[in-house]
Amino acid sequence: MAAQGRIVWISGPAVRADGMSDAKMYETVVVGDSKLVGEVIRLTGDVAFIQVYESTSGLKPGEPVIGTGNPLSVLLGPGIIGQLYDGIQRPLKELSKASGSYIGRGITTTPVDMTKKYHFVPTASAGDEVMPGNVIGTVQETDLIEHSIMIPPDHPGGKITNIVSEGDYDLETEIATSEKDGNTIPIKMYHKWPVRKPRPYNTRYDPTIPLLTGQRVIDTFFPIAKGGTGSIPGAFGTGKTVTLHQIAKWADSQVVVYIGCGERGNEMTEVLIEFPHLKDPRSGKPLMDRTVLVANTSNMPVAAREASIYTGVTIAEYYRDMGKDVVLVADSTSRWAEALREMSGRLEEMPAEEGYPSYLASRLAEFYERAGRVRAMGSPDRDGSVTLVGAVSPSGGDFTEPVTTHTMRFIKTFWALDAKLAYSRHYPSINWMNSYSGYLGDIAKWWGENISDDWLNLRSEAYGVLQREDTLKEIVRLLGPEALPDEEKLILEVARMAKIGLLQQNSFDDVDTYCSPEKQYRLLKLLVQFYHRGQQALKEGATLPDIRAMSIIGSLLKARMDIKDDELAKLDELDNTMQEQFKSITGVKVTN
Amino acid sequence: MGSNSQLEQAIDKILAKTTDRILSGLDDSCSESMRTIDDSLSILEQEYDKLITDGKKEADKIKKQIIGSSDLGARNEQLISLEQAVDDVFEKALEKITNTARSGNYENLIKTMIEESTNILGTTEVIISTNSKDRDAVQSQLSQFSGAELSADVIDCIGGVVAKSKDGTMKFDNTIDARIERLKPLIRKEIASMFGVGN
Amino acid sequence: MTGGGVQYSKIAEIKGPLVIVDDVDNAAFDELVEVETNDGEHRLGKVLEVGNGKAIVQVFEGTTGLSVSGTNAKFVGKVMEMPVSKEVLGRVFDGLGRPKDGLPDPIADKFIDINGEPMNPEQREYPKDFIQTGVSVIDGMITLVRGQKLPIFSGSGMSHNLLAAQIARQATVIGTQDEFAVVFAAIGVQYSEAEYFKRSLEESGALKRSVLFLNLADDPAIERIITPRVALTVAEYLAFELGMHVLVILTDMTNYAEALREISAAREEVPGRKGYPGYLYTDLSTIYERAGKLNGKKGSVTQVPILSMPSDDITHPIPDLTGYITEGQIVLGRDLFRQGIYPPVNILMSLSRLMKDGIGKDRTREDHGEISNQNYDAYSRAQEVRALAGIVGKAGLTDIDLQYMSVGDIFEKEFLSQTTDENRTLDETLSVLWKVVSQLPKNELTKIKDKYVEQYYQE
Repeated sequence: MAAQGRIVWISGPAVRADGMSDAKMYETVVVGDSKLVGEVIRLTGDVAFIQVYESTSGLKPGEPVIGTGNPLSVLLGPGIIGQLYDGIQRPLKELSKASGSYIGRGITTTPVDMTKKYHFVPTASAGDEVMPGNVIGTVQETDLIEHSIMIPPDHPGGKITNIVSEGDYDLETEIATSEKDGNTIPIKMYHKWPVRKPRPYNTRYDPTIPLLTGQRVIDTFFPIAKGGTGSIPGAFGTGKTVTLHQIAKWADSQVVVYIGCGERGNEMTEVLIEFPHLKDPRSGKPLMDRTVLVANTSNMPVAAREASIYTGVTIAEYYRDMGKDVVLVADSTSRWAEALREMSGRLEEMPAEEGYPSYLASRLAEFYERAGRVRAMGSPDRDGSVTLVGAVSPSGGDFTEPVTTHTMRFIKTFWALDAKLAYSRHYPSINWMNSYSGYLGDIAKWWGENISDDWLNLRSEAYGVLQREDTLKEIVRLLGPEALPDEEKLILEVARMAKIGLLQQNSFDDVDTYCSPEKQYRLLKLLVQFYHRGQQALKEGATLPDIRAMSIIGSLLKARMDIKDDELAKLDELDNTMQEQFKSITGVKVTN
Repeated sequence: MGSNSQLEQAIDKILAKTTDRILSGLDDSCSESMRTIDDSLSILEQEYDKLITDGKKEADKIKKQIIGSSDLGARNEQLISLEQAVDDVFEKALEKITNTARSGNYENLIKTMIEESTNILGTTEVIISTNSKDRDAVQSQLSQFSGAELSADVIDCIGGVVAKSKDGTMKFDNTIDARIERLKPLIRKEIASMFGVGN
Repeated sequence: MTGGGVQYSKIAEIKGPLVIVDDVDNAAFDELVEVETNDGEHRLGKVLEVGNGKAIVQVFEGTTGLSVSGTNAKFVGKVMEMPVSKEVLGRVFDGLGRPKDGLPDPIADKFIDINGEPMNPEQREYPKDFIQTGVSVIDGMITLVRGQKLPIFSGSGMSHNLLAAQIARQATVIGTQDEFAVVFAAIGVQYSEAEYFKRSLEESGALKRSVLFLNLADDPAIERIITPRVALTVAEYLAFELGMHVLVILTDMTNYAEALREISAAREEVPGRKGYPGYLYTDLSTIYERAGKLNGKKGSVTQVPILSMPSDDITHPIPDLTGYITEGQIVLGRDLFRQGIYPPVNILMSLSRLMKDGIGKDRTREDHGEISNQNYDAYSRAQEVRALAGIVGKAGLTDIDLQYMSVGDIFEKEFLSQTTDENRTLDETLSVLWKVVSQLPKNELTKIKDKYVEQYYQE
């Protein structure tokens, strides 16, 4: 029976109500006369502590609180793709129909259009034994997404007694019924799932396939694997959002869930405006056809910010269960942590570092643990993945603050943004000395099989040059560049070329914004060859000014913008020109 | 137009100043030796241009300022006279209410006011204060509210009641004065719209 | 929220800016409160926390002179509202939105909750209309667009007020005749600063299109919580009800954050960094996010908040959290200021996030983005060379290094520097940018397409 209590205390998003002995932890409740949505987060005697997902302005003690009996859940079914949701899966477009330009309160909507008809193609027939996770049919959700209709994970299984024939049905239609031990259960095209509970799967794999983002500093230098975890911390103005948008645009996944958690309103608007016009580089379809947005901007109620992360990751897991690769981008987990801190403060819990609750680390761990590449439950066999990329906004750009340090314990790829690089307009401002990837070894095999065997060696060599440059820079700072011998000056020159020609990438340039793995490999190889040939030329009597004066350098630096993915043969021409120019400064043939 | 003549005066002043400065510049240059007269002339020309532009700029600034502030001044005059008119209407209205006969309907009004007050305070254990004119009306209604008492003190108001809980911690002012005060911004708007302003 | 108006007189405690009222059974969260002192003075406040018969009330005008006995608190039955109408233009209000110019209360067209409501991101219109400020460094390299929030990060004593006033005087959108207005909110600043601003608006004839809210340094500190909110309420009304383009200047947001800290301390909340409350980010966002444009509405709210960075420290929580919310920042540099350069903008630390969509072909000029990038690049390189010259001396520099040195000098002297009444056209601005990079040989211009180099390079 549903709890029915009364408000006794209000402080911002936190409300206490008594008479709530029937309430359950994390149950959704309806708060006050204006019917605000809230969630029980602590129970003491018959007093429930509730976080309210909408503004509590004007709420009074004495107003009613009514339990719904259900935990905070999301609706999972066709119609999710292309939506912009708030933190508790209310479509913002529907909200605007009810309350105009601003977000009103106490509005109830359904997450997807329940009356829209989808063309259902059954893949199971009456009499089939089904298990949780079994696919019983498909619908085409968007041009890009074939949506599997699955038996819900909490279904007891049994025999299909009835299933509709191919045709157009809306979400409320009973498309099938199952029977077990005399119990008949209707099956619709959707089900609900509690957001705080990870969706089950069959087995979990090691992440060995790279998630290709088309960003050279990521794919070539600090890659992330499908089903892996990555974090991108950076002070404001370091281009965090642009980098995340780039990942959301170009990652080779089938579904992207983008969570704007406590960030700017205009950033979500930008995605909404831009994505329908951008084409997926692989299918040529609009990117919006594979994207779900969850927006709880900084000025929207803080409790829903806490929920938005879970809403997003549950949706991601749902598409993973269909056998799809899903990327979830959360911008920013720091704002989520701050929401935790604020609620914790109102609960008067004992604070740990910087006022954050002591369970911050375990909550972060739980979240990142929901990433993974898995074999889904049920038949047919489906492998899918959820890759989690979380932005961190460290206060003052200080990476020793609690959210960054705890996050680093649970992620394997770390893209450290650097304000100094951003100030000199080196974008993406990912610092190559402070960043790391724990997936390099795991995914090298993929590069070997799909691109070239020497990928890992080339990458190590290029990275070695950057490391050498980092130490040499200290000497230059003290003595000036002329203090170095030509061999070391060559390292400085090659490092400069690596920075301009490889690490930097202009996301606003039509060509440079996305770089295919093949092109990444070829550019990398050209750079390493330049280094080798340069070393050789110096040995054979050429001087560094000779090398610097070669016109090929300019062409190599501009190749990322000048040469499109479908004209990579031009890179061979560059290679030839390079050989010739080296030949001319040494007068002897330079070998590879 | 007042602002125009003001403006002309200001511009004349600036131009006069400018001319003075040009003339003195000329004198200076004449006193210089003949050999440097060409140089001086070119410097002078620049100087002259600069003075003219500066003068124009200054005149422009003053012109904007004068036009801007005279517009604003006129608007503010209008606001004040409107407020005056609104106040007059208000005063008349209050006078009318003050002099309303305390009979029939009025007693009902008093009853409603006491009812509202006890509802909002959540108790009928209240002490009611009112003005001397309304005491009888209040007294006659009080029996309907158990525990309610009439205060010995008389308050100064147009009419209506003030209810106070007996422990003295809560008070609700339901005098006509307080009600009008609460509604004043809305009433002002209505009166103003009768003058054709504010929409 | 209805049925307010009860006055309670059992005051349990007064601490800092807070009054705690007992035996309250009819008050709502956020409700407006009128506190009456012993001697009949009225002060305004609002409910921060209510329940179990207690209400915690924050008194905007301070608690000085209040006593436990004899103080009454009347719960008004509504949240704080600002009366708005077109006639607020040309008016001066105090920090709580009450007339300060001796004129009557505005006859309200509407009463609007000063807290505003969050804009639905789905209903926002992405800002992309270039605002020409006539200040080269902004127009050329930190472009402002309508509906943006672009703060000025300054330090004590620097020329942020001159710059903000110049922007307010000169800002126009080329080729439109739309009505515009300036809303100025002084938050704990000195009289002379507010007066400078007022005079500046007056001299440009813009006062009649302006609304001023003044909470001066000697006005109650807690009132500062309200000042930006009433100002933005008026701005939203002018923008989205009357279709005007409103430039809002909030100065100084540091004073605002300090008032917030004072309340937090009085409530004995667990502090975040430097004693500021953990919710400072969220709270600031409820101010800054009120900038923007809306689908189907003509006007816009553009914000230029000013904040002085304590000890010029950009990692201090106030500039830090502001930077995470706003769409870029204009950072003033102490070094440039000491050299007497106006405006002393440190462009390397400055940024306009919305610039990319506000410039280019059909908006400003097709080469704008690239010439601006090249200048960033060149000036950044010039700074490195200057540092190097400090170590090895000018003699140790190569020719190209020396050319970069001259880029730095010309950039600062001719591009950055201008007078406070100099209103440069966009063509003038871009022309100086080209002059700067034309100190370099053409092959150094790696960020500009060759065709623009051919067209604009100054031999």
